Amino acid sequence: MANPADKPDPNLTTPDEGEVREEELEDIEEEDDYEGEDDDDEATASKPQTREDAAASRANAQNLFRRMGVAPVPVRVHDVIVKGNEKTKDHVIEAEVEGVRQATTLQELLEAANVANFNLRALDIFDSVKITLDAGPPELPDTTNVVVKVVESQSPLAAEIVTSTKSQARSSTLEGSLKYKNIFGHGDIWDSSLAYGCDNSGEVGLGLYLPRLRGRPSPFTSRLYLSTQDWLKFSSYRERALGVSLGVLLSKNHELGYTLAWRNLIDPTQMASRTIRRQIGHSLVSDLKYTFKVDERNSSLRPTRGYSFVSTSQIGGLVPDSRTLRFLRQEIDLKYAVPLGFYRSALNFGVSGGITFPWGSGYKSRASSVSERFFLGGNISPVCSLGGPSALWGFKTRGLGPNEPRREAEDDKSGDAYERDFVGGDVAVTAFADLSFDFPLRWFRERGIHGHVFACAGNMAELSGNKYRYFTAPKFMETFRSSVGAGIVLPTSLFRMELNYCHIVKKQEHDRAKSGFFLTFSTPSS
Amino acid sequence: MEGDQDTSGFTLVTRKPCFGLPTACPNCLPAYIYLKLAQLPFQLAFNSTFPDSDELPYFETGTYVAYNNDDGGVIEKLKKDGVVNLDSQLQSLPDYLSLKALILSWLEEALAYETWVGTEGVSAWKIYYSDLPWVISKVLFYKQTYMAKTRLGIIKENSEEREKQIYKRASDAYEALSTRLGEQKFLFEDRPSSLDAFFLSHILFTIQVLPETSVLRTKLLEHGNLVRYAEKLKLEFLEAPSSSSSPPLHSFPSSFSRKGSKPKSKSKTEKTEEEKKFKKRAKFFLAAQFLAVVIYLSVMGGVSNDELEYEDDD
Repeated sequence: MANPADKPDPNLTTPDEGEVREEELEDIEEEDDYEGEDDDDEATASKPQTREDAAASRANAQNLFRRMGVAPVPVRVHDVIVKGNEKTKDHVIEAEVEGVRQATTLQELLEAANVANFNLRALDIFDSVKITLDAGPPELPDTTNVVVKVVESQSPLAAEIVTSTKSQARSSTLEGSLKYKNIFGHGDIWDSSLAYGCDNSGEVGLGLYLPRLRGRPSPFTSRLYLSTQDWLKFSSYRERALGVSLGVLLSKNHELGYTLAWRNLIDPTQMASRTIRRQIGHSLVSDLKYTFKVDERNSSLRPTRGYSFVSTSQIGGLVPDSRTLRFLRQEIDLKYAVPLGFYRSALNFGVSGGITFPWGSGYKSRASSVSERFFLGGNISPVCSLGGPSALWGFKTRGLGPNEPRREAEDDKSGDAYERDFVGGDVAVTAFADLSFDFPLRWFRERGIHGHVFACAGNMAELSGNKYRYFTAPKFMETFRSSVGAGIVLPTSLFRMELNYCHIVKKQEHDRAKSGFFLTFSTPSS
Repeated sequence: MEGDQDTSGFTLVTRKPCFGLPTACPNCLPAYIYLKLAQLPFQLAFNSTFPDSDELPYFETGTYVAYNNDDGGVIEKLKKDGVVNLDSQLQSLPDYLSLKALILSWLEEALAYETWVGTEGVSAWKIYYSDLPWVISKVLFYKQTYMAKTRLGIIKENSEEREKQIYKRASDAYEALSTRLGEQKFLFEDRPSSLDAFFLSHILFTIQVLPETSVLRTKLLEHGNLVRYAEKLKLEFLEAPSSSSSPPLHSFPSSFSRKGSKPKSKSKTEKTEEEKKFKKRAKFFLAAQFLAVVIYLSVMGGVSNDELEYEDDD
């Protein structure tokens, strides 16, 4: 569904004035024609028009156009008339077109009507939306009635398959969902979904989306989910969670969310390392999350201009019961893209960091929950991932950072060193620089295939469980991992694929990284 | 097993302490007692968030881990891997297996029944769920109660018969063990075995954890020599001050005739005879030390003065 926080397509709101006026005038003319043809339309007072009347209307419209070109044309909206909604409540539609009432000139009115049109389409419950301007009552000059005509979706059921990057799973996921739209006429969308991630994670869930909560312009989402994340290969544990999450988009940049979940960590292989063994068990998570997001980049898949900033703050355990998981978590992500002017090249910079720590009695000696820790590496590109340190070219999923030996295997085949678990870090920092450019050949340019060279660096450390005593900044800087490389980017309609050659410049013992060719898949972060 | 792990230390991970026991879980207590009987120094760590796991208790040192669901239990695994084996020459004895069957099947069954069904899980709630939020606790409690009933083969139609059978077997087992034990210190001659660990764990749990109204507890208290056997072993092996860095254990009640479900704060404030004895001995020791220092100073002070005079002369 369209994200209402997104801006309307700039092509609709800031085009040449002449173009939009002509489009709108065509709409008005079409409406006149339509009114002329539709004998059943009782709301219109127009009489069937002859060719001479049509010519007169056109002349009037052209006069109006000339007036608009000279000075603002004052107008006042008298009434908003909604037609075509049988199931949808009037107030749902009127709330989305509220902006037209504030218009004082025809130019402002046309722009507001465009925005309202976009908002109504974004509700995703109508097959078509048409907003037209009709003359107001004859006794009130310079007034207009805004007529909103909607055609509700004939079949309320819709299925879709999307790819996205779930912030929890830190990898690309494929999600199939079945949606039932507008059951109660409040623009409500109910969906059941099945998602599968590249890292063997899965989720089944039921969700509800409301465009407005109690009349406030804040889209509300709620979700009941059962999810499994399988980290056996990397960290010797599997995480299952049954929970409910609620989210409110307070405004374009601010989002508040709450999650209550029963989380269970198990190790069916019984090969986990010491830190993971201590974490196995049940926990109740009750956490509040606030996200501030500004994305002024011109594209999330190939940004060439602009910046983005995301800050996510989480506090867990905000209930009187001290037995729920108590933690604090903060992530920051800043990206900046500078256009260089030739071959559509751009320099992208990014830095992101995060820290988590338990709170409550005995917080210094208590280890943070492994589910809340940071893990770096994986098959996503740092250029696209928004929100917190996660990706580093050349390093495999959960392939760097604090690690511990696993339990010794009973059948000691080779006598070599045992495999290791990556247990995550309480503090993580990553930075990258990426220079992207078009290829000289037109064939590549037409398909959006371009090249890039990049460099990235990152590091993590444990702080909780008394390990902050061993943390020093010089040691943290000394153990920074880094890689450089170059590659080809192939954008598709679902995701951005990169085929890169990475050279690992610096890594630590036991890191899962090696120089070579790698594929990454990234989707615009949700 | 290789002997490299001496440097890394031994840790036993169990469920949390309660009711005056170092660990109140009836599956974890035998392993704890076994290591104490073997006088192996170890640390105790707790996991109180996984009540429905059969991995606990587990023993670890370095990268070696012995889980409870490996090879017949932690104790069997420790024996098999050569970490500590108290039964090395006992397994060939004719009555070893029969005693083992009595303790590990009839008595264990009776304890499981009494914990989850007979006393309606009153004690189980404190042992397993006191560190988990209410929602999770409730669901897991019902789940574990159901699983215990399934394991014991209890259904609505046969619940009374099964209860009679379980209590009858427990009575017979107590009778047999009481006769076998007499006034001996251990079940087998004068050396501890894993069966002592299991049996002592059963007695301590039955007396200290199960409520006074428990039928099983009443049956056990009829055998005075079993109670005395448990007291003696507890005093010698479980209450002795440990030289390792293990956390301090809760004090044990001196007499088992008191209430089994004693809150922690009460046990801390009650002074037992053992504590008083210990404090007296400590006072004597300190006084003796002080006296020795005084004597040393007074004697050596005279000698040094002489030396100084001698040096001055030079």
